[in-house]
Amino acid sequence: MTPPGTGVATLEHQALGRSDSDAVDATLAASGDAHAFERLYRGHLGRISSLARRMLGDEDVDDVIQDVFVRAWQKLSTFRGESAFGTWLHRLAVNVILGRRETLGIRRQRHLDGDAALELVPGRRTTPEIAMDFETAIERLPAGAREVFVLHDMEGYRHEEIAQMLGLATGTSKSQLHRARMALRQHLER
Amino acid sequence: MTDQWTDRLSEYLDDELVPEDRAALEAHLRQCVACGAVLADLKRIVARVQTLEDRLPTQDLWPGIAAQIGATTGTGSTSAVVPFDRARRRWSFSLPQLAAASIALMAISGGATWLLHPGGAAPVATVPVVSPVPAAGGDPRVALTTSRRAAGQSYDAAVADLQGVLTAGRGRLDSTTVRVIERNLATIDSALAQAQRAVAADSANVYLNSHLAETMRRKLDLLRQAAALVASAS
Repeated sequence: MTPPGTGVATLEHQALGRSDSDAVDATLAASGDAHAFERLYRGHLGRISSLARRMLGDEDVDDVIQDVFVRAWQKLSTFRGESAFGTWLHRLAVNVILGRRETLGIRRQRHLDGDAALELVPGRRTTPEIAMDFETAIERLPAGAREVFVLHDMEGYRHEEIAQMLGLATGTSKSQLHRARMALRQHLER
Repeated sequence: MTDQWTDRLSEYLDDELVPEDRAALEAHLRQCVACGAVLADLKRIVARVQTLEDRLPTQDLWPGIAAQIGATTGTGSTSAVVPFDRARRRWSFSLPQLAAASIALMAISGGATWLLHPGGAAPVATVPVVSPVPAAGGDPRVALTTSRRAAGQSYDAAVADLQGVLTAGRGRLDSTTVRVIERNLATIDSALAQAQRAVAADSANVYLNSHLAETMRRKLDLLRQAAALVASAS
């Protein structure tokens, strides 16, 4: 009899990679398999939901998430496996979200010249719910600073890409990012 | 507490300053405690956001999505529907990609031979393999399909042999190990079935063929390790 667990750790490594199964599901979905598309939806929902919520706030966010996945279904034929499916979906989601924010009129205050608006972000220190506070603080940033902060610090886009997506100068993207970070300092655990 | 450098700290943190400005700011940081504290906070913020967890919607949005894409919901009742903008995907493959797929198939057939004859001489492929460079004028996809069929026969035999070893010897393994093996086999079998369906839907897709080959190889690896555990427990 083998000792309990012998070889288990090694065997656990046999699990299939996420990107591999995504690529398979994407192909199946492109051929009309809704089950495969539902697997993709459930696998990526958390990240897309978080992105939408952080970019837009709670209002209409469910509608935007649905829109992202419906668009993804419609455009599956353009996914060629040159990048991970998650990357492709994420790019599509950013485009849908940016388009939606225009519709919602968020752009009006996008670049509200900043410090006064940033003062509106309330600070609460050393509370048990500090994690939620930090998340809430991000959502309460002025739209322009929040968009740049989410895209740069949370989603990994470069300033040049952000500037192109948002129609800004690169320098404006950098200054918005710095303002957002400075506003969030008061929400750090001490 | 702010000075001319405070507003440059994010650029410094992101390594976006030109060398001259970077050097000047670093000189400033050596003597400015306030800027050092701000920089430390900015670093913590950048690290902090990486720890935030994803948040799911408060309700399941799939029914609404399914309705919009024309799929039905409910267990086992989802029908296959054609995507709105479904255009036949055009795949183009380079010779290196074809070669990579060929190597994957060679690995399977060679691995199967080794598995069937462990301890023998160096592995010798017993099934035809795809030439990395297709013959002039030949269709590489035809060669790929032919080779896959041949390799598949050898693969099936190897899998059956190893599964026989596992079935006969599973009583010598502890229950945790057996459970992990069975769970991973089920996962891989499920992935295999999906990969086979995907290849059936897009048989010319070299990536999917390669993925199918890789999944088959993983199953062989798992079975080989399981067989080794049985042997070591004997």
